[in-house]
Amino acid sequence: MKVKKSLQEILTDLKINDEFKENIVTWQTIAEKPAQTVPLPEVLHPLLRKSFNSKGIEQLYTHQKSAYEKVMEGKSIVAVTPTASGKTLCYNLPVLQTILSNPSARALYMFPTKALAQDQKSEMNEIIQAAGVDINSYTYDGDTPANIRQRVRQAGHVVITNPDMLHSAILPHHTKWVSLFENLKFVVIDELHTYRGVFGSHVANVIRRLKRICRYYGSNPVFICTSATIANPLELAQSLTEEKMYLIDNNGAPSGTKHFLFYNPPIVNKPLNIRRSATLEVRKIAGELLKNKIQTIIFARSRVRVEIILTYLQELVKNQLGAKSIMGYRGGYLPTERRKIEKGLRSGDIYGVVSTNALELGVDIGQLQVCIMTGYPGTISSAWQQAGRAGRRHGEALVIMVASSSPLDQYIIQNPGYFFNKSPETARINPDNLIILIDHMKCAAYELPFKANEKFGNVDTEELLEYLTEERVLYRNGDKWYWMNDSFPAHNISLRSASQENVIIVDQTDVANVRVIGEMDRFSAMTLLHDEAIYLHQGTQFQVEKLDWDEKKAFVREVKVDYFTDANLAVQLKVLEVDRLQAVEEAEIGFGDVSVRAMATIFKKIKFETHENIGSGPIHLPEEELHTNAAWISLNQPLAEMGHERLEQGLVGTAHALNHIAPLFVMADPQDIHVIPQVKADHNEKPTIFFYDRYPGGIGLSEKIYSGMSEVFAETEKMIQRCQCVSGCPSCIGTETVSETAKKDALKIIQSFRQPYHLSKEV
Amino acid sequence: MSLKNKLNRLKPHLSIGGQPEKAHHLPAPVKIDIPFRERWEQENVSPYFMDADYCLVREVKFPLSQQHGHYCFRDFLTAVDLWNNEPINHPLSAKGHQAGELFFFDTETTGLGGGVGNTIFLLGYASISGDNLILRQHILPHPGAEVPLYQSFLEKVNYKTLVTYNGKSFDWPQVKTRHTLVREHVPKLPAFGHFDLFHAAKRLWKHKLDRLKLAVVEKEVLGVERIDDLPGFLAPMIYFDFIESKQPDGMLGMIKHNEIDILSLITLYTHLTFQLCGIDALQTRAESYEVGRWFASLGEKSEAEKVLSKLTTGSDFTSYQAMFTLAFQYKKEKDWVMAQKLFLGVVDSEDERMMLESCLELAKIHEHRLIDYQLALNYCQKAVLLITQTKKPLKLSGQMTLEQLQIRLKRLERKYGKLLKKVHISPKVAK
Repeated sequence: MKVKKSLQEILTDLKINDEFKENIVTWQTIAEKPAQTVPLPEVLHPLLRKSFNSKGIEQLYTHQKSAYEKVMEGKSIVAVTPTASGKTLCYNLPVLQTILSNPSARALYMFPTKALAQDQKSEMNEIIQAAGVDINSYTYDGDTPANIRQRVRQAGHVVITNPDMLHSAILPHHTKWVSLFENLKFVVIDELHTYRGVFGSHVANVIRRLKRICRYYGSNPVFICTSATIANPLELAQSLTEEKMYLIDNNGAPSGTKHFLFYNPPIVNKPLNIRRSATLEVRKIAGELLKNKIQTIIFARSRVRVEIILTYLQELVKNQLGAKSIMGYRGGYLPTERRKIEKGLRSGDIYGVVSTNALELGVDIGQLQVCIMTGYPGTISSAWQQAGRAGRRHGEALVIMVASSSPLDQYIIQNPGYFFNKSPETARINPDNLIILIDHMKCAAYELPFKANEKFGNVDTEELLEYLTEERVLYRNGDKWYWMNDSFPAHNISLRSASQENVIIVDQTDVANVRVIGEMDRFSAMTLLHDEAIYLHQGTQFQVEKLDWDEKKAFVREVKVDYFTDANLAVQLKVLEVDRLQAVEEAEIGFGDVSVRAMATIFKKIKFETHENIGSGPIHLPEEELHTNAAWISLNQPLAEMGHERLEQGLVGTAHALNHIAPLFVMADPQDIHVIPQVKADHNEKPTIFFYDRYPGGIGLSEKIYSGMSEVFAETEKMIQRCQCVSGCPSCIGTETVSETAKKDALKIIQSFRQPYHLSKEV
Repeated sequence: MSLKNKLNRLKPHLSIGGQPEKAHHLPAPVKIDIPFRERWEQENVSPYFMDADYCLVREVKFPLSQQHGHYCFRDFLTAVDLWNNEPINHPLSAKGHQAGELFFFDTETTGLGGGVGNTIFLLGYASISGDNLILRQHILPHPGAEVPLYQSFLEKVNYKTLVTYNGKSFDWPQVKTRHTLVREHVPKLPAFGHFDLFHAAKRLWKHKLDRLKLAVVEKEVLGVERIDDLPGFLAPMIYFDFIESKQPDGMLGMIKHNEIDILSLITLYTHLTFQLCGIDALQTRAESYEVGRWFASLGEKSEAEKVLSKLTTGSDFTSYQAMFTLAFQYKKEKDWVMAQKLFLGVVDSEDERMMLESCLELAKIHEHRLIDYQLALNYCQKAVLLITQTKKPLKLSGQMTLEQLQIRLKRLERKYGKLLKKVHISPKVAK
């Protein structure tokens, strides 16, 4: 019988085995780091001290002590801590100490997901039990049974919830929470870095509403935030809470040795520069690890990818470990399903997990030895978060990032310095996005009438209140605006998704037992749940029999086929209004409001294993319209010598490359910003490339591109030049273009775009 | 682009309720002269002033002889007397109360469901005072006038018990919510007893009514007819229209609607009392049974027995139901013989579920109490047969599932077999 290999042996294998060695382009070893500690604070309540001692905590890490001291001075803080550095003590310590000396004090904890909240409740309750003190800590979320809700509202010292619950269940019912809001001393915001982009902009407004209610009841809580490493934690915390914040970043937690490998799959088609699929490569590596029973987590960027890898791996190990020892984990699974997976991981019944970034967050799943990323996760901080999943508690750990052929992945893998040395991305929010702002103004007015001259966060409200009055949502009486509508505004506003309504996925395989197995946002549903689409859920294939677009329901039935589906989205863009313009001799660079129309057109059936196209079909769905912000650059000279066809292909290639580089510069999820080319833009009839925010009203991404366009073009040019292919490949300008000259043309176009920009810079 | 233009462009993305566009006119600054005061006064509505603001209060008197549905208001006095004189315990009992201590209460709001922003614009209640029934309605003339609204309301209410229709889960919590917002300016909310007649109606008439909205109960049970009534769901629209136009007419319709709701509560309470005390000559057997069952579930054994035993003599479905319910009560009291007798009566009813349950109960009684394994075995077999031969499958749980019954069957066969052996060895033991 084959003896199982240890992680050490696997590491050696990777170094000497030709099969792997050749493809490992970077091997970075991150040295272990010893702990830096200080004694527990003198004044700590004896029972609390006893409780910590019983859990083996005799000392604090330096950052925990600093956090404690600042918070006890009444200062709001943001603590930046890597995974597994004991960040929870940064808030639990001051909160418990305060409640012990003042039993009427209350704290509100906010976690981005329910799973995290559950985790925290257990941890909190362990401390409380060990201390033997009378402190009530409860979770309050959609799963909280009705019969204990009242107890939570009245007697919960620590209420643990999520922003969605705060938004739709707590704030609109604040009169039931008087004892919480009158005595609220602390608001804890964990995983601060997840509150960026659209979601963060929503949450910033929920916090504005929270602070408004607190003021009404006469409390003024201290905010305690914790964040993973990002470039601007202080700025993010301050714009999210609109409070003066102190940064705590003297991390004193120890960490084990970590091997960080960049793995580039071999080239299988030299002229086209096509590499072996990252998915297949991950299957090989992960299979090897799992066969040796080494607990491994595999991250993939999309839900579909997760399910495909899951299917592969379950098949691979089903005889040795049993298919159930490898599970998928992603948003869209129902809560019970997710809890089961979390438990299995902790208990060790599950060896492998394939996850989207849902598990990137701090859910405590115990020790995993290896982390494999299928493709670059999109941001540096995301990558480090995922890497943190391996070897959380000391010991040696292995992280492998397997690059895909996408230009972004190839850029990262060929520039390890960018990843290892550059400071992580900046998290951006735009709480004043009009759509988001006005939605939350409505909720706020529902909660309490607005007074004349009242500010909502930093925003002057008068003009907005007048608009809402005209829309017959508010009613002005004297110097106050009252909610005057029969709806419950928070119910129509979702914090998580751009479109406000999700599509429910209904499994009707068993006619007698039709059940809901998940949900998906509307925009993703256009390309993933159209009629005949193959939808994957926990490795099981379902075919969509009917997508009822009006009712927002997708009816699916279990099938067994050897392909998956991939849909195309056709996008049209029109400029509605130009807000800013730099016109120079050669080109114009603009920023303004645009209308984007998107329509799912056709889908392809792609065979497993070979990934060849084995069929296609039309998609009949209505067009979706989006009003948003865009930045664009147009050439004044149409490059006539190139000819229409080549110009068009060149633009498509350029846009393809830009689409991958642009998100890097605005720290956005690649889904949040899109690039599209037009040979003859509607508004100025010039060859133009547009960058637009994929959220109604825009969240400031294209605005950032507008002011940093030269950098984006410069980096894109470098990337294309460095690519080894002859005339374009998936790693630079994509394969939609077929012409021999495509790559050359794309470069020429970029150069023409860059030229005027330099001119304008000098002007 | 100006902010307003931007907002108009983004309109499709803004989730604003689909109200029709109307010309916008700014509300007149609040003065203490009351728009359409004369019109209001014709309808017995007068202003209640407080500081620089006011609310409207309507007060109407009704003679006790006035009929509302099948009863007149004087019958309500009879109902209160009944509770005070009869030895019946019941959650709706007014024992220890005088008629004037009950107040019949209902609200109208600007939206559905709970939530801080759902404004109560009408608080209405009625109570007996001397020879009259007095109905008062406190009306919010504009948003922001809630201090006078609740002040005037709380000055008037010194009653002991609220009588509502679904007020336990809706009206009263909503009053608490809105009161919290003005609690610094008005008296505290007093503590009340609370009779919620919605639950009573559900118990008594669920067997014949699909929906138990008050309007349905009025029509089908109480004999109340509404003429030109505004449906309740229009309340928000009518109120929004009223605060802009200040025109009393629409609101007066809403006020009338609220009045009928409240008056019907009195009739409903009277009717329920007569049902529970068994003095309604027109009470159906099915209603009687529901009353008996209610007493049984409350643990009011003698009352339940009194009502149900009268029903067991018939041969309709209700008599089986009565036997069945009574049998469980005897079982609780450990009167195995009576319980067995009644369960036996149900075994031949037409209702499969009741038959099945009775067989199971008989099997249990014979196995554990009366120690007759042969009979126990018979009933258990009959239960299994019922499940396996039924045409439309029943939803079964616990002891009634086929698996559980088969376990029971095996056990009984074993016990019975042992007994037979014993009988064989020493025939004396045999019964």
